[in-house]
Formats: sequence, C-alpha cells, structure tokens
Amino acid sequence: MGLRSTFDNMAPHFEKGGKYEKLYPLYEAVDTGLFHPPNVTNNTSHVRDGIDLKRIMITVWICTFPAMFFGMYNIGLQANEAIAAGAGTAIEGWREMLIALLGGGGHNPASFWDNFAFGAAYFLPVYAVTFAVGGFWEVLFAVVRKHEVNEGFFVTSVLFALILPPSIPLWQVALGISFGVVIGKEIFGGTGKNFLNPALTGRAFLFFAYPADLSGNSVWTAVDGFSGATPLSNAQEGGVQAIIDGGVTWFDAFFGTIQGSMGETSTLAILLAGVVLMGMGIASWRIVLGVFVGMVATTWLFNFIGSDTNPLFAVPWYWHLVIGGFAFGMIFMATDPVSASMTNTGKFYFGALIGLMVIMIRVANPAYPEGMMLAILFANLFAPLIDHFVVQSNIKRRVARVS
Amino acid sequence: MSEIKNVLTEPLFNKNPIALQILGICSALAVTTSLQVTLVMCLAVIAVTSFSNVGVSLIRNHIPNNIRIIVQMIIIASLVIVVDQVLKAFAYEISKQLSVFVGLIITNCIVMGRAEAFAMKNGPVLSFFDGVGNGLGYSVVLIVVATIRELFGAGKLLGVEILPLVTDGGWYQSNGLLLLPPSAFFIIGLFIWALRSWKKDQVEEPDFKILPNTEHSGGH
Amino acid sequence: MSANNDSIQKTLIVAVLLCLVCSVIVAGAAVSLKPLQQANKTEDMKKNILAAAGLLDSSKSVTEQFEQVTTRIVNLEEGRFATEAEVNDIKKLMGLNDISKFDQRKASQMPELSDKLAGSEDPASIKRRSKYAAVYLVQEGDQLEKLILPIHGYGLWSTLYGFIALKGDLETIAGLGFYEHGETPGLGGEVDNPLWKAKWVGKELHNEQGKLAIEVIKGEAPRDSEHKVDGLSGATLTSRGVNNLVRYWVGEQAFGTLLNQMKSQGA
Repeated sequence: MGLRSTFDNMAPHFEKGGKYEKLYPLYEAVDTGLFHPPNVTNNTSHVRDGIDLKRIMITVWICTFPAMFFGMYNIGLQANEAIAAGAGTAIEGWREMLIALLGGGGHNPASFWDNFAFGAAYFLPVYAVTFAVGGFWEVLFAVVRKHEVNEGFFVTSVLFALILPPSIPLWQVALGISFGVVIGKEIFGGTGKNFLNPALTGRAFLFFAYPADLSGNSVWTAVDGFSGATPLSNAQEGGVQAIIDGGVTWFDAFFGTIQGSMGETSTLAILLAGVVLMGMGIASWRIVLGVFVGMVATTWLFNFIGSDTNPLFAVPWYWHLVIGGFAFGMIFMATDPVSASMTNTGKFYFGALIGLMVIMIRVANPAYPEGMMLAILFANLFAPLIDHFVVQSNIKRRVARVS
Repeated sequence: MSEIKNVLTEPLFNKNPIALQILGICSALAVTTSLQVTLVMCLAVIAVTSFSNVGVSLIRNHIPNNIRIIVQMIIIASLVIVVDQVLKAFAYEISKQLSVFVGLIITNCIVMGRAEAFAMKNGPVLSFFDGVGNGLGYSVVLIVVATIRELFGAGKLLGVEILPLVTDGGWYQSNGLLLLPPSAFFIIGLFIWALRSWKKDQVEEPDFKILPNTEHSGGH
Repeated sequence: MSANNDSIQKTLIVAVLLCLVCSVIVAGAAVSLKPLQQANKTEDMKKNILAAAGLLDSSKSVTEQFEQVTTRIVNLEEGRFATEAEVNDIKKLMGLNDISKFDQRKASQMPELSDKLAGSEDPASIKRRSKYAAVYLVQEGDQLEKLILPIHGYGLWSTLYGFIALKGDLETIAGLGFYEHGETPGLGGEVDNPLWKAKWVGKELHNEQGKLAIEVIKGEAPRDSEHKVDGLSGATLTSRGVNNLVRYWVGEQAFGTLLNQMKSQGA
C-alpha cells in the first residue's frame, strides 16, 4: 500500500484549501485511475457495481485495439502497395525518419513489419496530438469548472483518431478534437450532458471545414501522387461491380485491406470488439440490432425500388455492412451511452433511425458518399425526443391499466 | 445628454439585442460571409431602426392603440423599401449579394421591438439615438462574425487578401465551414459565451439543478 | 387623449394619412431611382459577360470595354442568327426596347419562347430551354476576335450560369467562367478558382476527326492534352455537371450548328 499512502499524503494539498487546490481534477484522475474511488452513495438504498464509468471506458478503449492495430497494418499495406506499384512516392519528411526508426523503411508490402511501422508512423502522431490537445481542454475545463477529468475522453480521443484518414494534417487533428471536446461536449457541461457524440462532432467539423482533406480519392493512402477511391465511392460510380473492378472482394472489405479511415476498414476486428462489448453489457445490443435492422430494411427497400441511373440502389446489405464506416459507427459510435437514447424501447428506434439515415445518405444523396457520421449525429439530435415518446407511452399505458 | 449617451452605449454590450435578447439572428447567418456586405447591412439596419423609431415616436400620441402594430409595420416597411431602392441604385453589387435580406429587415425583431418598446414612450430625439444604439449593438455582433468568417473562411478582409490561400499558391488553408451559414451560429454562441463570462449579470438562472448523488467520504 | 385615439374616426384618419404619406415616399424613391438602377443592371450583365470570358480589364470602365462587343440573337433550334422579324417578336413578347437587354433566363420560363426538353436531350439538366439566346461578338474591324456564348446547367446543388468565350477560329477556348452558382465552397465552388479557369484557355473543342472532344475528366489531365481539362478534386459531381453543360452548349443540340455555319462562312 506504499503508493496508496503516497496518494493519501498528497491528498490534502489538492483538496479544498490546499496548495494545489486548482489541480484537484488532475490528482483525482490519477488516483481513481489506479484505485477504487472512495465515494459512497448518500441517498436511499442502492446496489453498487464494481464496474464504474472509469472501468467501462477503459474496456471500450481496449476493445478498439484490434481495429487500431489492424488499421496501422492496413495503412502501411495500402501505402506500400501503391509505392511498390510505382503509383506514388513516399512522402519525405519526419515521418519517413520515424518509419526508419521503427525499423520499417523498406516499403515492402509483403513485409508485415514494414507495413506496421509505416502505419504506426501515421496513426500514432495523430493519436498523440488528439490526446494532448483534447486532454489539454479536458483538464482546463475540469480546473475552471471544478469537475473531475472524465475518462470518457480516453474513448473520445481514440475513436476520433481512428475515424480520420491517414493523410490528415496534424494541425487539423488538433483543431478537430478541440471543436469536438469544447463545442461538442464541454459547453454543455461536460461528459454526461453532451447531446452529440464529441468524436463525431469533431470529425463533422473537419469534414465541412476542410472537405478536400477528408473526402475525395487522394486522402486515403498516405503517399504522394496516388489517388485511390474507397469502395464506397467506387460503388457510387458503378455499384458492386465497380468495387470488384477496383480489386476489392467482399472478403477484402470484411478483413479490412481496403482504402478508408484509419480504424474503420476491418469489419472483422470491429465485430470482434462488438461481441465483447455487448457480452459485457457495455455496448447496448438493442442499439446495434436497431442499426443493423434499419440498414438492412432500408437497403431492401432501395433494392426493390431500383434505379437506372443510380447504381447504389442495387448494392446489397452485406456490402453496405463491410464498406465505409458502417461497422465502426454501429459498434463504437451509435452505442455511446450519453448521446444515444436511454430507454430500452427508445434504443431500438434510435438504432433504426441511424440505419435508415445512413442508407438514405449513402444512396440518395449524391454529395456525401459516406453517411454514417451524419446519420449518427442526426439520430443523436432525436434521441431525447425518442425517449420522451417512449416515456409518455409508458405513462399512458399504465394510466390505462389503473383506470 | 447623459440620457442620449446611455441609449447609445447600453445596447452595445450591456443590453445587446442579439446577445442578450437573441433577436434578429436570422440575417446574421445569411449576410456575414463577407465584411463589406455586412457593413452595408449594418448601415441599412441602423438607418431603418433609427428612422422608424423617429417616425413612430413623432406620431406616438396619435396612434390608435388597436392598430399600433400595423402602423409601426407600415412605417418600417416603407423605410425598408426606400433603403432597398437606394442600395440598388448606389451599391448594386452589394445589394445583389444581400438579395432578399434587405427586404427581410422588415421582419427583423429588433426594429419592431424598439419601435414598440421604446419609441412609443419616448420623444423623437431620444428614440433616434435609441435606434442608432440598437442598430450598433446588432452591428457589433455582425461585424465580429463577419470578420471571423471572411478572414478564416476566405483569407480576406474587405476583399483584401490577408492570408494567402493554398488554392492560390499561398500557405493558408481556408476553413470551408465558415463559408456555410451554420458557422455563424457557432460564432454567435461563442460571442455570447464570452460576453456572459465578462458580464456575469447576463447569465440566466438555470431551469434545473442537478444534485450530486454521491459524497466524498474523505478517506479510503 | 388616448381615449380619443381609439375612436373609429381617428383610427381611420390616422390609417389613411399614414398610408398616403408612406406611399408617396416609397413611390418617390422607386421612381426617382429607377434610371440609376437600370443602368446598374445592364452594366452588371456586361461585366459578367466580360469577366466570365476573361476579358475584363478593371482599369477601364465596363461600358467602354463593351463598345467593341456586338450582341446578336441566335435561333437555337435552327442554329442561325435570328431574323429581324423574330427579334421584333421577342421585343414585343418580353417588353424590351433594346434587344441587347434580352434575358435568356426569363425567356426560358416563358412558354412562347421556350421548349421543354425531354430527359434524353437534356444532359445539362436545364429542363426548359429558351428558343433564342444572346451571343456576344468581339470584333476588331471586320475580323471576329472572340465569340462569347452563354452556358448554364446543373452541377451538384445548383444551376451554374456562365459564359464561354471562343477565339476567332471558333475552335479554341479563350475563357470560361461562372457568375452564379451555389456549389460547396472549397470543393465545387472551386469553379471560380482562377487557376482552374486558366486551364480551359487554349483547349480545343473538336479533335482531328471533327468529333466533339472537349471534356472535364476525373483527376488530372495529361499535360499536353488539347481537349481534356482537370476535374476539380473532391468535386466529382460538379466537374461532371460542368463537363455536361459545356459539351451540351457547344454541341450539335445547342450552338454547334451555328458554329459550323459561321466557320464555313468564314472559310
């Protein structure tokens, strides 16, 4: 208990009246990160579970690892394949040095380590900037507002980094996470009071502010002079046939060796995490089911209507599942407990709304090939309304039962 | 004299029509992509608020109570049409960019609000300055919004290049969001936040207060 | 006093007087400023034409620069310049005293002066096309220097309105520009980027076989290409829209016949 007593000795300095009173949130974050928090509930009877918000968030964070590590490998794979094929050249600069330092300067797409080092040199700086800048805002608000630093930020930061394209400039990363944390969360009072998913808010900001760096064909592979469409934008051109012509089979898309944002490509890795999260009761299976059913139903509807001019109408649901950010959004973003609906019935509707909107945006809107981000943000706005109707109908049902 | 100074300066920050009363923000979204257009819009609003205040104030003792809103509307609408015609004649380029938004000054709540709340009860001179003051209060916010939007959205101020854009061979990458109307909401929101942090008395009482359900026991 | 104000008599008097005063002011402003406004409007259109065609020189007055430009009305269906009788008809239908004020956008809304296009003959998605269009000839002496054609069509969010200028050979592009559109700033909005507009200059409409070859392609065009123009990065649909509308307006269905005819006369 040496460490515990060190903390206890330090505690008075950080508590009210102490020397470092202002830095209490930082102390609290480290302390409760390592130890069980000392809080007790002071009102009526309750059951207290060992798994608190902090443990939940850490679990989600760890669950992103398969997608993250696969993402790093895939960034390198895509880039090194392009370089090996002579379609582009490596971007000279500090990142090349970092890759060499990690022992992967060969740009050989067949070498696992070359790919992984390349990806790490692109993902880790993005993540580091996200963490540093976002963390700065978290702590600043915690100190000024006198609330605790919330571990939700662990999750926000990793999710935000994973949904960016590998070639994103680092200053945009900093700007995006600042917007996400400050406008998406802190101005409403911090974690638990935000009605939008902060990671997606940050990405939406970047998407509209710097569209050239977040959409199009040249941002998904981190090499100079190479342009490769994502399967989604290929699908916009010519449906499933165009995806396959682009050299991507369904299994490629499922395993994730395709163009896309850093952590969203591997449906397999994401679904694995989803199974764990749903099994532990952290991610709501109701939302995931809602999203999935909503997506399949809307796709069937479009398949049934058909269109001569828009090849996306004919894309079947199992393709929608594996391309773009659908799987990632369904497992990690839609299930955000704060911005989703709270009621159990509401969660189905909330999920279904996302599933509906994502296909509507992908298929019917010509401007945005990807619809997951906008669909989730849209459903976030409706979550309180959905809950309201669910609660009202419950009340009505019960009133009817009594009278 | 101090009264005039008061009605002129109060609406700038203490009783800003946009920031405190959240009036007239519709046009703030639409006309603030460039500073030049915004300045013209501000002048138009100042002209309409001040002269409609004078007009209403002059005949305030003769306005029948049950048609007073219509009377105010007629005065405001006439002034707006005149302003619109003048702009079309002397600042055609800008009036084209302002398009319907000059006409929509009629529905700008600030103008109606001042006519009803101030000009109906005060003399023409004071009403005139109240109109100018409120127009200026509106202008302060719009100019702030427009400066941010034009500078960071297009790299220019009043059409003069300040930050050379990447697309034109410079170094600054323009922020496209600022050229879209929703960005004005964010900027006005941040402006109100800053203003209320400075002048705490403008902060509204929260409707609800969340009580903590745990307490810190102070030990382990 | 306020009790008096609310009498029916007083209410009526105030209402009538106020309306009279206000209508005099409004009418006075409208009538006295009208000439200025109309002058502005014409000058604005001239400026658009010159600017879009890349001829605008900001050091000279627009009116002065426009003196070398002649406006001619074209019968689009038959691909020839309109006859005197047709011009008079248009003047009468649109209430114009000067044919140079011909407004194609207004004409395309008038059933007498426009045709509805079927889907297959409408690649630029303009739905209705005016039967006539005003084109602008820039002449130096008898020699045709430039021909400026109005173009419009649908991009991603909006209809783009602009002009394309051809050199005297009616084959080489001298300039292209849009004066009105609502495309996404930073993506499709880059149609206004001078660097992109400059890429059009010098491109040729047809290839050696005489086939229409001008094209906006996806991605970068080969450097020495005579017919291909770079697409706007990240704006596939706007680029496609521009491609469609340019090809439509210089093609056989619109100004193509006129161009051929003028070429053969010139030769």
